[in-house]
Amino acid sequence: MNTQEIITLAEGIVQQWDWATEVSHPRPNQLDVHVKLLKELVPIVVGLRVKRLGYLCAIVGIDLGPEANEMEVLYHFCPGDVLIALRVRVPRQDGTVPSLSEVIPSAEVFERELHEMFGIEITGLRNTERLYLPESWPEGLYPLCKDFNPASLTDHAGEN
Amino acid sequence: MPESNAPIRFTIPIGPQHPALKEPGHFQFTVDGEVVTSAYVRLGYAHRGIEKAAEQRSWIQNLYLIERICGICSHIHALAYCLAVENLAHVEAPPRAQAIRTVVAELERIHSHFLWIGVSAHEAGFETLFMYSWRDRETVMDLLEGLTGNRVNYSANLLGGVKFDIDQAQADSIRKGLDFLEERTRHYLDVISHDSTFLQRTRGIGVMTSAQAEVMGAVGPTARASNVKRDLRVEAPYAAYKAFPVQMVLDTRGDLEARFEVRLKELFESFRLIRQILDALPEGELAVRLPRRIPAGETVVRLEAPRGEVYYFVKSAGADKPERLKVRTPTICNLTSVIRLAVGHQLADVPMILAGIDPCFSCNDRMVQVRDTKNDSQKLMTWEQLRQHGIDFYRSNGK
Repeated sequence: MNTQEIITLAEGIVQQWDWATEVSHPRPNQLDVHVKLLKELVPIVVGLRVKRLGYLCAIVGIDLGPEANEMEVLYHFCPGDVLIALRVRVPRQDGTVPSLSEVIPSAEVFERELHEMFGIEITGLRNTERLYLPESWPEGLYPLCKDFNPASLTDHAGEN
Repeated sequence: MPESNAPIRFTIPIGPQHPALKEPGHFQFTVDGEVVTSAYVRLGYAHRGIEKAAEQRSWIQNLYLIERICGICSHIHALAYCLAVENLAHVEAPPRAQAIRTVVAELERIHSHFLWIGVSAHEAGFETLFMYSWRDRETVMDLLEGLTGNRVNYSANLLGGVKFDIDQAQADSIRKGLDFLEERTRHYLDVISHDSTFLQRTRGIGVMTSAQAEVMGAVGPTARASNVKRDLRVEAPYAAYKAFPVQMVLDTRGDLEARFEVRLKELFESFRLIRQILDALPEGELAVRLPRRIPAGETVVRLEAPRGEVYYFVKSAGADKPERLKVRTPTICNLTSVIRLAVGHQLADVPMILAGIDPCFSCNDRMVQVRDTKNDSQKLMTWEQLRQHGIDFYRSNGK
Protein backbone atom coordinates (compact mmCIF):
# COMPACT_ATOMS: atom_id res chain seq x y z
CA MET A 1 0.00 0.00 0.00
CA ASN A 2 1.26 3.47 -0.77
CA THR A 3 0.81 6.55 1.40
CA GLN A 4 -2.43 7.66 -0.23
CA GLU A 5 -4.01 4.21 -0.06
CA ILE A 6 -3.19 3.91 3.65
CA ILE A 7 -4.66 7.36 4.37
CA THR A 8 -7.83 6.52 2.41
CA LEU A 9 -8.20 3.18 4.17
CA ALA A 10 -7.67 4.75 7.61
CA GLU A 11 -10.13 7.50 6.84
CA GLY A 12 -12.71 4.95 5.77
CA ILE A 13 -12.33 3.13 9.06
CA VAL A 14 -12.56 6.26 11.17
CA GLN A 15 -15.63 7.46 9.23
CA GLN A 16 -17.64 4.68 10.81
CA TRP A 17 -17.29 6.67 14.04
CA ASP A 18 -18.09 10.07 12.52
CA TRP A 19 -20.39 10.91 15.43
CA ALA A 20 -17.51 10.46 17.87
CA THR A 21 -14.59 11.86 15.93
CA GLU A 22 -13.28 14.91 14.13
CA VAL A 23 -10.77 14.34 11.35
CA SER A 24 -8.14 16.71 9.91
CA HIS A 25 -5.09 16.49 7.60
CA PRO A 26 -2.24 18.60 8.96
CA ARG A 27 0.21 17.08 6.43
CA PRO A 28 -0.25 14.95 3.30
CA ASN A 29 0.91 11.83 5.15
CA GLN A 30 -0.83 12.59 8.43
CA LEU A 31 -4.35 11.92 9.64
CA ASP A 32 -5.39 13.57 12.89
CA VAL A 33 -8.43 12.05 14.60
CA HIS A 34 -9.89 13.79 17.64
CA VAL A 35 -11.76 11.12 19.54
CA LYS A 36 -14.46 12.97 21.46
CA LEU A 37 -16.05 9.94 23.11
CA LEU A 38 -13.43 8.08 25.13
CA LYS A 39 -15.33 4.80 25.10
CA GLU A 40 -14.96 4.67 21.31
CA LEU A 41 -11.15 4.74 21.49
CA VAL A 42 -10.62 0.99 21.81
CA PRO A 43 -13.14 0.06 19.08
CA ILE A 44 -11.41 2.49 16.68
CA VAL A 45 -8.04 0.95 17.53
CA VAL A 46 -9.49 -2.52 16.88
CA GLY A 47 -10.71 -1.21 13.52
CA LEU A 48 -7.21 -0.01 12.61
CA ARG A 49 -5.61 -3.18 13.90
CA VAL A 50 -7.87 -5.44 11.84
CA LYS A 51 -6.80 -3.62 8.67
CA ARG A 52 -3.12 -3.96 9.66
CA LEU A 53 -2.74 -0.28 10.45
CA GLY A 54 -2.16 -0.99 14.12
CA TYR A 55 1.58 -0.45 14.48
CA LEU A 56 1.58 1.69 17.63
CA CYS A 57 4.69 3.85 17.57
CA ALA A 58 4.21 5.72 20.81
CA ILE A 59 1.74 7.17 23.28
CA VAL A 60 2.47 10.80 24.11
CA GLY A 61 1.02 12.66 27.05
CA ILE A 62 0.90 16.46 26.97
CA ASP A 63 -0.05 18.60 29.94
CA LEU A 64 -1.88 21.59 28.49
CA GLY A 65 -1.34 23.49 31.74
CA PRO A 66 -3.45 24.62 34.71
CA GLU A 67 -5.23 27.23 32.61
CA ALA A 68 -6.63 24.82 30.05
CA ASN A 69 -7.03 22.34 32.92
CA GLU A 70 -6.76 19.46 30.46
CA MET A 71 -4.28 16.89 29.34
CA GLU A 72 -3.97 15.53 25.85
CA VAL A 73 -3.03 11.96 25.00
CA LEU A 74 -1.78 11.17 21.50
CA TYR A 75 -1.76 7.62 20.14
CA HIS A 76 0.57 7.54 17.18
CA PHE A 77 0.04 4.72 14.70
CA CYS A 78 2.65 4.59 11.96
CA PRO A 79 1.97 2.20 9.07
CA GLY A 80 4.66 2.84 6.44
CA ASP A 81 5.39 6.55 6.26
CA VAL A 82 1.89 7.52 7.41
CA LEU A 83 1.09 9.00 10.80
CA ILE A 84 -2.37 8.33 12.21
CA ALA A 85 -2.76 10.36 15.39
CA LEU A 86 -5.68 9.53 17.65
CA ARG A 87 -6.06 12.42 20.07
CA VAL A 88 -8.07 12.42 23.28
CA ARG A 89 -8.51 15.08 25.97
CA VAL A 90 -8.92 14.28 29.64
CA PRO A 91 -9.28 16.53 32.71
CA ARG A 92 -6.04 17.31 34.56
CA GLN A 93 -7.41 15.90 37.79
CA ASP A 94 -8.41 12.23 37.78
CA GLY A 95 -8.16 11.88 34.00
CA THR A 96 -8.79 8.33 32.81
CA VAL A 97 -8.21 6.59 29.51
CA PRO A 98 -8.98 2.98 28.54
CA SER A 99 -6.04 0.61 28.07
CA LEU A 100 -5.15 -0.60 24.57
CA SER A 101 -3.03 -3.46 25.89
CA GLU A 102 -5.71 -6.09 25.22
CA VAL A 103 -5.62 -5.19 21.52
CA ILE A 104 -1.96 -4.19 21.24
CA PRO A 105 0.31 -5.88 23.81
CA SER A 106 3.16 -3.43 23.26
CA ALA A 107 0.92 -0.60 24.52
CA GLU A 108 1.44 -1.75 28.09
CA VAL A 109 4.84 -0.12 28.65
CA PHE A 110 3.71 3.14 27.02
CA GLU A 111 0.62 3.24 29.25
CA ARG A 112 2.59 2.55 32.41
CA GLU A 113 4.87 5.44 31.48
CA LEU A 114 1.88 7.69 30.77
CA HIS A 115 0.43 6.93 34.19
CA GLU A 116 3.70 7.50 36.04
CA MET A 117 4.56 10.73 34.32
CA PHE A 118 1.14 12.39 34.15
CA GLY A 119 -1.05 10.64 36.74
CA ILE A 120 -3.59 9.62 34.12
CA GLU A 121 -5.43 6.47 35.20
CA ILE A 122 -5.47 3.61 32.70
CA THR A 123 -8.51 1.38 33.07
CA GLY A 124 -7.98 -2.28 32.24
CA LEU A 125 -4.20 -2.19 32.53
CA ARG A 126 -3.15 -5.40 34.25
CA ASN A 127 0.34 -4.42 35.33
CA THR A 128 0.27 -1.03 37.05
CA GLU A 129 3.67 -1.31 38.73
CA ARG A 130 6.18 1.47 38.30
CA LEU A 131 8.34 1.13 35.22
CA TYR A 132 10.69 4.12 35.34
CA LEU A 133 10.28 6.04 38.62
CA PRO A 134 12.06 4.81 41.76
CA GLU A 135 10.09 3.10 44.54
CA SER A 136 10.87 6.01 46.85
CA TRP A 137 9.24 8.53 44.49
CA PRO A 138 6.39 10.28 46.36
CA GLU A 139 2.87 9.11 45.53
CA GLY A 140 0.79 11.56 43.57
CA LEU A 141 3.76 13.52 42.18
CA TYR A 142 3.85 13.42 38.39
CA PRO A 143 7.09 14.72 36.88
CA LEU A 144 5.91 15.69 33.40
CA CYS A 145 3.05 17.85 34.68
CA LYS A 146 3.74 21.49 33.92
CA ASP A 147 3.42 22.54 37.56
CA PHE A 148 6.00 20.02 38.78
CA ASN A 149 9.25 21.74 39.67
CA PRO A 150 12.31 19.45 39.56
CA ALA A 151 14.01 21.61 42.21
CA SER A 152 11.47 20.34 44.75
CA LEU A 153 12.81 16.84 44.21
CA THR A 154 15.81 17.18 46.54
CA ASP A 155 13.45 17.22 49.54
CA HIS A 156 11.90 13.89 48.61
CA ALA A 157 13.86 11.44 46.57
CA GLY A 158 17.37 12.84 46.43
CA GLU A 159 19.03 9.63 47.57
CA ASN A 160 17.65 7.61 44.73
CA MET B 1 19.11 -29.90 48.76
CA PRO B 2 15.35 -30.02 48.55
CA GLU B 3 13.75 -32.98 50.24
CA SER B 4 11.36 -33.99 47.49
CA ASN B 5 12.03 -34.53 43.82
CA ALA B 6 9.31 -32.09 42.81
CA PRO B 7 10.54 -29.38 40.42
CA ILE B 8 11.61 -26.23 42.20
CA ARG B 9 10.89 -22.78 40.82
CA PHE B 10 13.64 -20.24 41.06
CA THR B 11 13.41 -16.55 40.49
CA ILE B 12 16.47 -15.04 38.87
CA PRO B 13 16.79 -11.27 38.85
CA ILE B 14 19.26 -9.79 36.38
CA GLY B 15 20.24 -6.17 36.52
CA PRO B 16 19.62 -3.27 37.02
CA GLN B 17 22.71 -1.84 35.28
CA HIS B 18 22.05 -1.79 31.59
CA PRO B 19 23.93 0.86 29.74
CA ALA B 20 22.48 0.75 26.24
CA LEU B 21 18.98 1.95 26.93
CA LYS B 22 17.68 5.36 27.71
CA GLU B 23 17.27 3.57 31.03
CA PRO B 24 19.05 0.55 32.54
CA GLY B 25 16.93 -2.51 33.09
CA HIS B 26 16.34 -5.10 35.70
CA PHE B 27 15.17 -8.51 34.58
CA GLN B 28 13.72 -11.21 36.70
CA PHE B 29 13.25 -14.70 35.35
CA THR B 30 11.42 -17.49 37.10
CA VAL B 31 12.71 -20.92 36.15
CA ASP B 32 11.34 -24.40 36.55
CA GLY B 33 14.45 -26.53 36.56
CA GLU B 34 16.28 -25.11 33.55
CA VAL B 35 13.24 -23.71 31.74
CA VAL B 36 12.14 -20.10 32.05
CA THR B 37 8.47 -19.90 33.09
CA SER B 38 8.00 -16.17 33.47
CA ALA B 39 9.91 -12.99 32.80
CA TYR B 40 9.64 -9.53 34.26
CA VAL B 41 11.30 -6.22 33.48
CA ARG B 42 11.80 -3.08 35.57
CA LEU B 43 13.41 0.00 34.06
CA GLY B 44 14.31 3.46 35.24
CA TYR B 45 17.58 2.97 37.10
CA ALA B 46 19.16 5.79 35.16
CA HIS B 47 16.07 7.74 34.20
CA ARG B 48 17.57 11.18 33.88
CA GLY B 49 14.39 13.12 33.19
CA ILE B 50 15.62 14.32 29.82
CA GLU B 51 12.11 14.97 28.49
CA LYS B 52 11.45 17.29 31.43
CA ALA B 53 14.90 18.86 31.19
CA ALA B 54 14.33 19.60 27.50
CA GLU B 55 11.29 21.72 28.35
CA GLN B 56 13.54 23.98 30.39
CA ARG B 57 16.31 24.50 27.86
CA SER B 58 16.54 26.51 24.67
CA TRP B 59 16.28 24.87 21.26
CA ILE B 60 20.06 25.08 20.82
CA GLN B 61 20.98 23.85 24.31
CA ASN B 62 18.75 20.85 23.75
CA LEU B 63 20.81 19.72 20.78
CA TYR B 64 23.70 19.03 23.16
CA LEU B 65 21.45 17.45 25.77
CA ILE B 66 19.73 15.16 23.24
CA GLU B 67 22.99 13.96 21.73
CA ARG B 68 23.82 12.56 25.18
CA ILE B 69 20.76 10.32 25.44
CA CYS B 70 22.78 7.43 24.05
CA GLY B 71 26.53 6.94 23.89
CA ILE B 72 26.36 4.52 20.98
CA CYS B 73 23.82 6.05 18.64
CA SER B 74 24.30 9.67 19.69
CA HIS B 75 24.22 10.93 16.11
CA ILE B 76 20.81 9.49 15.28
CA HIS B 77 19.27 11.20 18.33
CA ALA B 78 20.79 14.55 17.45
CA LEU B 79 19.72 14.07 13.83
CA ALA B 80 16.13 13.23 14.82
CA TYR B 81 15.97 16.31 16.99
CA CYS B 82 17.44 18.55 14.27
CA LEU B 83 15.04 17.20 11.63
CA ALA B 84 12.11 17.80 14.00
CA VAL B 85 13.12 21.39 14.73
CA GLU B 86 13.80 22.04 11.04
CA ASN B 87 10.34 20.63 10.23
CA LEU B 88 8.71 22.99 12.69
CA ALA B 89 10.68 25.95 11.34
CA HIS B 90 9.81 24.95 7.72
CA VAL B 91 13.50 24.86 6.87
CA GLU B 92 15.40 22.15 5.09
CA ALA B 93 19.11 21.55 5.55
CA PRO B 94 21.11 21.83 2.27
CA PRO B 95 21.68 18.60 0.26
CA ARG B 96 25.39 18.49 1.11
CA ALA B 97 24.58 18.65 4.82
CA GLN B 98 21.97 15.88 4.42
CA ALA B 99 24.53 13.71 2.63
CA ILE B 100 27.14 14.26 5.36
CA ARG B 101 24.55 13.48 8.03
CA THR B 102 23.80 10.23 6.24
CA VAL B 103 27.49 9.29 5.99
CA VAL B 104 27.91 9.81 9.75
CA ALA B 105 24.69 7.85 10.44
CA GLU B 106 25.94 4.89 8.41
CA LEU B 107 29.42 5.00 10.01
CA GLU B 108 27.59 4.98 13.34
CA ARG B 109 25.62 1.91 12.25
CA ILE B 110 28.87 0.14 11.33
CA HIS B 111 30.44 0.93 14.70
CA SER B 112 27.28 -0.11 16.53
CA HIS B 113 26.90 -3.43 14.70
CA PHE B 114 30.60 -4.26 15.22
CA LEU B 115 30.18 -3.46 18.90
CA TRP B 116 27.17 -5.73 19.02
CA ILE B 117 28.78 -8.68 17.29
CA GLY B 118 31.58 -8.51 19.84
CA VAL B 119 29.18 -8.36 22.77
CA SER B 120 27.09 -11.28 21.52
CA ALA B 121 30.19 -13.35 20.80
CA HIS B 122 31.32 -12.68 24.37
CA GLU B 123 27.95 -13.77 25.77
CA ALA B 124 28.27 -17.00 23.79
CA GLY B 125 31.79 -17.56 25.13
CA PHE B 126 33.39 -16.95 21.73
CA GLU B 127 36.14 -14.63 22.99
CA THR B 128 38.23 -14.73 19.82
CA LEU B 129 35.39 -13.30 17.76
CA PHE B 130 34.81 -10.70 20.46
CA MET B 131 38.46 -9.56 20.44
CA TYR B 132 38.79 -9.47 16.65
CA SER B 133 35.55 -7.64 16.02
CA TRP B 134 36.36 -4.99 18.60
CA ARG B 135 39.84 -4.58 17.15
CA ASP B 136 38.26 -4.01 13.74
CA ARG B 137 35.74 -1.62 15.23
CA GLU B 138 38.62 0.72 16.08
CA THR B 139 38.93 1.36 12.34
CA VAL B 140 35.49 2.91 12.14
CA MET B 141 35.99 4.76 15.44
CA ASP B 142 39.13 6.31 13.96
CA LEU B 143 37.22 7.29 10.83
CA LEU B 144 34.55 8.99 12.95
CA GLU B 145 37.20 10.76 15.00
CA GLY B 146 39.01 11.89 11.89
CA LEU B 147 35.78 13.25 10.48
CA THR B 148 34.23 14.90 13.53
CA GLY B 149 37.01 15.13 16.12
CA ASN B 150 35.14 12.81 18.50
CA ARG B 151 34.97 9.06 19.01
CA VAL B 152 31.55 9.29 20.64
CA ASN B 153 29.02 12.15 20.74
CA TYR B 154 30.33 13.29 17.35
CA SER B 155 28.40 16.53 17.52
CA ALA B 156 28.12 16.59 13.76
CA ASN B 157 24.75 18.36 13.60
CA LEU B 158 23.66 21.95 13.79
CA LEU B 159 20.07 23.10 13.73
CA GLY B 160 19.86 23.62 9.96
CA GLY B 161 22.88 21.62 8.83
CA VAL B 162 26.22 20.15 9.84
CA LYS B 163 29.37 21.58 11.41
CA PHE B 164 32.04 20.19 9.09
CA ASP B 165 32.74 19.27 5.50
CA ILE B 166 34.28 16.11 4.08
CA ASP B 167 37.39 16.85 1.99
CA GLN B 168 39.14 14.63 -0.52
CA ALA B 169 41.72 13.31 1.94
CA GLN B 170 39.02 12.36 4.46
CA ALA B 171 36.94 10.70 1.78
CA ASP B 172 39.98 8.64 0.74
CA SER B 173 40.71 7.51 4.28
CA ILE B 174 37.06 6.53 4.73
CA ARG B 175 37.18 4.48 1.49
CA LYS B 176 40.35 2.76 2.66
CA GLY B 177 38.83 1.98 6.07
CA LEU B 178 35.67 0.64 4.44
CA ASP B 179 37.65 -1.73 2.20
CA PHE B 180 39.24 -3.28 5.28
CA LEU B 181 35.94 -3.46 7.20
CA GLU B 182 34.13 -5.01 4.25
CA GLU B 183 36.67 -7.78 4.01
CA ARG B 184 36.38 -8.42 7.75
CA THR B 185 32.58 -8.41 7.63
CA ARG B 186 32.68 -11.05 4.90
CA HIS B 187 34.86 -13.16 7.20
CA TYR B 188 32.51 -12.71 10.18
CA LEU B 189 29.49 -13.59 8.09
CA ASP B 190 31.28 -16.81 7.17
CA VAL B 191 32.10 -17.50 10.84
CA ILE B 192 28.61 -16.92 12.24
CA SER B 193 26.94 -19.00 9.54
CA HIS B 194 29.40 -21.93 9.56
CA ASP B 195 31.00 -22.28 13.01
CA SER B 196 29.16 -25.23 14.52
CA THR B 197 29.83 -24.29 18.16
CA PHE B 198 28.44 -20.84 17.57
CA LEU B 199 25.46 -22.08 15.57
CA GLN B 200 24.53 -24.27 18.51
CA ARG B 201 23.87 -21.05 20.46
CA THR B 202 22.00 -19.25 17.70
CA ARG B 203 20.24 -21.62 15.29
CA GLY B 204 16.60 -22.15 16.21
CA ILE B 205 17.00 -20.17 19.45
CA GLY B 206 14.65 -17.33 20.38
CA VAL B 207 12.47 -17.80 17.30
CA MET B 208 10.04 -14.95 16.75
CA THR B 209 7.54 -15.46 13.95
CA SER B 210 6.61 -12.67 11.61
CA ALA B 211 3.17 -12.36 13.21
CA GLN B 212 4.63 -12.23 16.72
CA ALA B 213 7.14 -9.57 15.74
CA GLU B 214 4.38 -7.50 14.21
CA VAL B 215 1.96 -7.80 17.14
CA MET B 216 4.61 -7.19 19.77
CA GLY B 217 5.92 -4.16 17.91
CA ALA B 218 9.50 -5.31 17.28
CA VAL B 219 11.62 -2.88 15.25
CA GLY B 220 14.92 -2.72 13.39
CA PRO B 221 17.10 -5.75 12.65
CA THR B 222 15.14 -7.76 15.26
CA ALA B 223 11.94 -7.27 13.22
CA ARG B 224 13.65 -7.70 9.85
CA ALA B 225 15.14 -11.02 10.95
CA SER B 226 11.50 -12.14 11.36
CA ASN B 227 10.62 -10.93 7.87
CA VAL B 228 8.78 -7.80 9.01
CA LYS B 229 9.41 -5.07 6.47
CA ARG B 230 10.31 -2.25 8.83
CA ASP B 231 13.19 -0.02 7.80
CA LEU B 232 12.51 3.69 7.78
CA ARG B 233 15.37 4.34 5.38
CA VAL B 234 13.22 2.51 2.84
CA GLU B 235 9.67 3.11 4.12
CA ALA B 236 9.97 6.84 4.82
CA PRO B 237 13.38 8.03 3.53
CA TYR B 238 14.87 11.01 5.37
CA ALA B 239 18.12 13.00 5.06
CA ALA B 240 19.91 11.69 1.92
CA TYR B 241 18.21 8.26 1.74
CA LYS B 242 15.80 9.54 -0.88
CA ALA B 243 18.62 10.44 -3.25
CA PHE B 244 20.71 7.43 -2.22
CA PRO B 245 18.29 4.54 -1.57
CA VAL B 246 19.20 1.41 0.41
CA GLN B 247 18.00 -2.16 0.06
CA MET B 248 16.11 -3.66 2.99
CA VAL B 249 17.76 -6.82 4.34
CA LEU B 250 15.22 -9.42 5.41
CA ASP B 251 15.29 -12.96 6.74
CA THR B 252 12.43 -15.38 7.21
CA ARG B 253 13.86 -17.58 9.96
CA GLY B 254 13.33 -15.27 12.96
CA ASP B 255 15.92 -16.96 15.19
CA LEU B 256 19.14 -15.60 16.66
CA GLU B 257 21.13 -16.75 13.65
CA ALA B 258 18.88 -14.66 11.41
CA ARG B 259 19.40 -11.63 13.66
CA PHE B 260 23.15 -12.08 13.26
CA GLU B 261 22.95 -12.44 9.51
CA VAL B 262 20.63 -9.49 9.01
CA ARG B 263 22.92 -7.16 10.93
CA LEU B 264 26.04 -8.29 9.08
CA LYS B 265 24.38 -8.18 5.67
CA GLU B 266 23.13 -4.69 6.45
CA LEU B 267 26.74 -3.61 6.84
CA PHE B 268 27.40 -4.32 3.14
CA GLU B 269 24.59 -1.90 2.31
CA SER B 270 26.18 0.67 4.61
CA PHE B 271 29.60 0.26 2.93
CA ARG B 272 28.05 0.56 -0.51
CA LEU B 273 25.96 3.59 0.46
CA ILE B 274 28.83 5.53 2.05
CA ARG B 275 31.01 4.97 -1.04
CA GLN B 276 28.19 6.03 -3.32
CA ILE B 277 27.58 9.23 -1.34
CA LEU B 278 31.29 10.07 -1.19
CA ASP B 279 31.52 9.66 -4.97
CA ALA B 280 28.59 11.98 -5.56
CA LEU B 281 28.63 14.39 -2.66
CA PRO B 282 26.30 17.26 -3.64
CA GLU B 283 27.96 20.67 -3.82
CA GLY B 284 26.72 23.58 -1.76
CA GLU B 285 26.26 25.09 1.66
CA LEU B 286 26.66 23.16 4.91
CA ALA B 287 23.97 24.91 6.92
CA VAL B 288 21.10 27.35 6.83
CA ARG B 289 20.08 29.74 9.57
CA LEU B 290 17.21 28.97 11.91
CA PRO B 291 15.24 31.51 13.95
CA ARG B 292 15.80 31.53 17.71
CA ARG B 293 12.09 31.09 18.31
CA ILE B 294 10.56 28.13 16.54
CA PRO B 295 7.02 28.57 15.15
CA ALA B 296 4.22 26.82 17.04
CA GLY B 297 3.35 23.34 15.85
CA GLU B 298 3.81 19.63 16.33
CA THR B 299 5.94 17.18 14.47
CA VAL B 300 6.91 13.52 14.52
CA VAL B 301 10.25 12.29 13.21
CA ARG B 302 11.06 8.60 12.85
CA LEU B 303 14.54 7.46 11.92
CA GLU B 304 16.25 4.11 11.52
CA ALA B 305 18.83 3.87 14.31
CA PRO B 306 21.21 0.88 14.35
CA ARG B 307 18.80 -0.92 16.73
CA GLY B 308 15.63 0.08 14.93
CA GLU B 309 13.14 2.87 14.81
CA VAL B 310 13.76 5.89 16.99
CA TYR B 311 10.75 8.15 17.37
CA TYR B 312 10.70 11.85 18.28
CA PHE B 313 7.67 13.98 18.97
CA VAL B 314 8.32 17.69 19.36
CA LYS B 315 5.74 20.34 20.14
CA SER B 316 6.53 24.03 19.99
CA ALA B 317 4.38 26.80 21.42
CA GLY B 318 6.33 29.44 19.48
CA ALA B 319 8.78 30.08 22.31
CA ASP B 320 12.56 29.72 22.56
CA LYS B 321 12.08 26.34 24.28
CA PRO B 322 10.13 23.23 23.30
CA GLU B 323 6.73 22.79 24.89
CA ARG B 324 7.03 19.00 24.89
CA LEU B 325 9.62 16.56 23.64
CA LYS B 326 9.01 12.84 23.62
CA VAL B 327 11.59 10.20 22.75
CA ARG B 328 10.86 6.55 22.14
CA THR B 329 13.93 4.43 21.61
CA PRO B 330 13.95 1.12 19.70
CA THR B 331 15.07 -0.95 22.66
CA ILE B 332 11.84 -0.49 24.62
CA CYS B 333 9.94 -2.03 21.68
CA ASN B 334 12.35 -4.92 21.27
CA LEU B 335 12.71 -5.51 24.98
CA THR B 336 9.02 -6.08 25.55
CA SER B 337 8.91 -8.52 22.66
CA VAL B 338 12.04 -10.40 23.62
CA ILE B 339 11.00 -10.71 27.26
CA ARG B 340 7.97 -12.71 26.13
CA LEU B 341 10.22 -14.77 23.89
CA ALA B 342 12.38 -15.94 26.80
CA VAL B 343 9.50 -17.93 28.32
CA GLY B 344 9.88 -21.60 27.47
CA HIS B 345 13.59 -21.32 26.75
CA GLN B 346 16.54 -22.73 28.68
CA LEU B 347 17.97 -20.36 31.27
CA ALA B 348 21.27 -20.90 29.47
CA ASP B 349 19.81 -19.19 26.39
CA VAL B 350 18.75 -16.04 28.25
CA PRO B 351 22.03 -14.13 27.86
CA MET B 352 22.03 -14.72 24.09
CA ILE B 353 18.34 -13.92 23.66
CA LEU B 354 18.76 -10.62 25.48
CA ALA B 355 21.96 -9.80 23.64
CA GLY B 356 20.23 -10.72 20.37
CA ILE B 357 18.22 -7.48 20.33
CA ASP B 358 21.44 -5.50 20.88
CA PRO B 359 20.69 -3.85 24.19
CA CYS B 360 24.49 -3.64 24.80
CA PHE B 361 25.11 -5.89 27.76
CA SER B 362 28.85 -5.59 27.86
CA CYS B 363 29.71 -2.78 30.18
CA ASN B 364 28.54 -3.93 33.57
CA ASP B 365 28.94 -6.87 35.81
CA ARG B 366 25.38 -7.61 36.77
CA MET B 367 24.20 -9.19 39.98
CA VAL B 368 22.01 -12.19 39.39
CA GLN B 369 19.90 -13.39 42.23
CA VAL B 370 18.75 -17.01 42.27
CA ARG B 371 15.85 -17.43 44.61
CA ASP B 372 14.39 -20.73 45.69
CA THR B 373 10.82 -19.66 46.21
CA LYS B 374 9.81 -22.88 47.91
CA ASN B 375 12.34 -22.72 50.71
CA ASP B 376 12.48 -18.94 50.57
CA SER B 377 16.26 -19.07 50.48
CA GLN B 378 18.40 -16.87 48.25
CA LYS B 379 21.54 -17.49 46.30
CA LEU B 380 23.49 -14.76 44.56
CA MET B 381 24.98 -15.14 41.12
CA THR B 382 26.65 -12.51 39.00
CA TRP B 383 25.79 -11.88 35.37
CA GLU B 384 29.22 -13.34 34.63
CA GLN B 385 28.21 -16.58 36.37
CA LEU B 386 24.97 -16.76 34.40
CA ARG B 387 26.91 -16.22 31.19
CA GLN B 388 29.31 -18.97 32.25
CA HIS B 389 26.33 -21.19 33.07
CA GLY B 390 25.15 -20.79 29.48
CA ILE B 391 28.58 -21.64 28.09
CA ASP B 392 29.04 -24.67 30.39
CA PHE B 393 25.52 -25.88 29.70
CA TYR B 394 26.20 -26.03 25.99
CA ARG B 395 29.67 -27.44 26.51
CA SER B 396 28.28 -30.45 28.42
CA ASN B 397 24.99 -30.84 26.59
CA GLY B 398 26.07 -29.86 23.10
CA LYS B 399 26.42 -32.17 20.19
